[in-house]
Amino acid sequence: MSNINKILVVDNISREFPGRKAVTNVSFEVEKGSIHGFLGPNGAGKSTTMRMIAGLLPPSSGQITVLGEKVTGSNPNLKNQIGLLPENAPLILDMSVEKYLRFVAKLHGVQNLNDQVEQVMSELMILDVRKRLIGNLSKGYKQRVGLAQTLVYDAPFLILDEPTNGLDPQTVVELRDYIRRLSDRKTILFSSHILPEVEQLCDQITIIHQGRVRATGNLHEIHRKFRQGLVLKIGLRVGEHLPDLSIFGKYEVTQSHFVGKEIQFHVTFENDTDCRSEIGKYLIKSGVNLLTLQVESPELEDIFLQVTETKK
Amino acid sequence: MIWTIWKKEVESYFASPLAYILIGLFSLITGIMFFNLLVTYTDGVQAIPQDMAQNISFVEEVVLKLFANINFLFLIFIPLITMKLFSEEKRLETIDLFWLSPIKEWQVVIAKGLSALTLVLSMLFMTIIFPLIIWGVGIKDISLLSTSYLSVLLNACCYVSLGLFCSSITSNQIISALLSILGILFLWMITWGGHLNSNYMISEIFNYLGITSHFERILRGLLGTQDLIYYGTFIFFFGFLTVKSLGRRNW
Repeated sequence: MSNINKILVVDNISREFPGRKAVTNVSFEVEKGSIHGFLGPNGAGKSTTMRMIAGLLPPSSGQITVLGEKVTGSNPNLKNQIGLLPENAPLILDMSVEKYLRFVAKLHGVQNLNDQVEQVMSELMILDVRKRLIGNLSKGYKQRVGLAQTLVYDAPFLILDEPTNGLDPQTVVELRDYIRRLSDRKTILFSSHILPEVEQLCDQITIIHQGRVRATGNLHEIHRKFRQGLVLKIGLRVGEHLPDLSIFGKYEVTQSHFVGKEIQFHVTFENDTDCRSEIGKYLIKSGVNLLTLQVESPELEDIFLQVTETKK
Repeated sequence: MIWTIWKKEVESYFASPLAYILIGLFSLITGIMFFNLLVTYTDGVQAIPQDMAQNISFVEEVVLKLFANINFLFLIFIPLITMKLFSEEKRLETIDLFWLSPIKEWQVVIAKGLSALTLVLSMLFMTIIFPLIIWGVGIKDISLLSTSYLSVLLNACCYVSLGLFCSSITSNQIISALLSILGILFLWMITWGGHLNSNYMISEIFNYLGITSHFERILRGLLGTQDLIYYGTFIFFFGFLTVKSLGRRNW
């Protein structure tokens, strides 16, 4: 894909703090109009990388390009182009919601200030708290105001650092839904350590661990790359006699255990072998009392664990 | 842009109790000082023969001492005003709002400096009763009063610019305030250093570098170009350092 479709290109950036390396040789790209998941456990270097992309922290080496422009703290062409919601939203606690959003809009020189602020407050359902001081709001509302702050000057590229962290389930669902709808008109780099959330929202992901990129690209491709074969979950009713299970001897059988009168076990196939039909034939022919037969492919969580554990 | 940030800062000052406490405390202390100076002056004048009493200057004993005391109070009050300007924003990371917007560092520095000066002016405004009283007792000298106010105001500008710089290098308000206090003390001590040195040239250099000599000259109505250059350079220098300190995030 040509660079014209890339809104963000991170090229081999590193960042050192006194006594430690926070990020080492990180490279990845974000396509225009996508929601790109940025995954990693706590302390992996996500926030540092995001601050560097936003131009708030210089990398020790490497280069970042946003919308074809080299990111520097003072590049005038990138002002108003990046919206950042850091882990701790930059809220001015002694200001009312409306005043705060108007203040941010004015800093960015927004022309149709009233309409823009009104629209963003309406979209994020914070109209009812517009006159209240931000410091007195609940965490859910504060996060909405934090998100509103990134939208009020209509930046095409949003960086959201764990936006749903620590919120109640209803707010999480609403915010996720809103972020999904936002992707129609914005490109979003979205960090999280909640894997189902990333699976729901993102088409592209980058997994970072201990300051290094462990995997990056299309979610399905990463699935395919890291899939360690199929797993067949089998549950059989055991009568007085144990059925003949010798056929499973040639496969990798794991997690076998009894649950009452049922034996459950997992059969794993390598990527290049698929013995489902052979096992199916056997099960029918042998007349065993089959209770469960389920094919599972690894979840993002498994990939994540695999990536973050094996490369320690 | 500068106006937007100035307005937000001033609103923020007056949204918290700190501004009211500072203004109230400043008025109270200066009021007590003024009262004491008046009482000491009248007691002193009454205690000595009339021909000697005529030699004791009201301006010297009350007006100049009052403004010198106001300058002394700034040692504590201005660091308390400037301590949060950048350090609080750094701690809460709200300072990033500026850096993601097209605003420049120098605009933020000017806006924040002006907002701190606004609070200083509010404090000084409360002392307006003293000139009225002084006017009432027959010292109808506009130039004396204006140079007195100008002297403390120029000193306040210097302390604010120093305070801004101290606030920009730390995210801890207490450290910021302590650094400002130490900085102001150091400015005063430079002049004392000049007094201790027997070499005329060195003594003069110390005198010029210290703020006290300039302050005293303006307070006595002897405003010269060298004083204006001193204040201008001082304010610009620390403003420049603050801009540079904020710009460290750039590359």
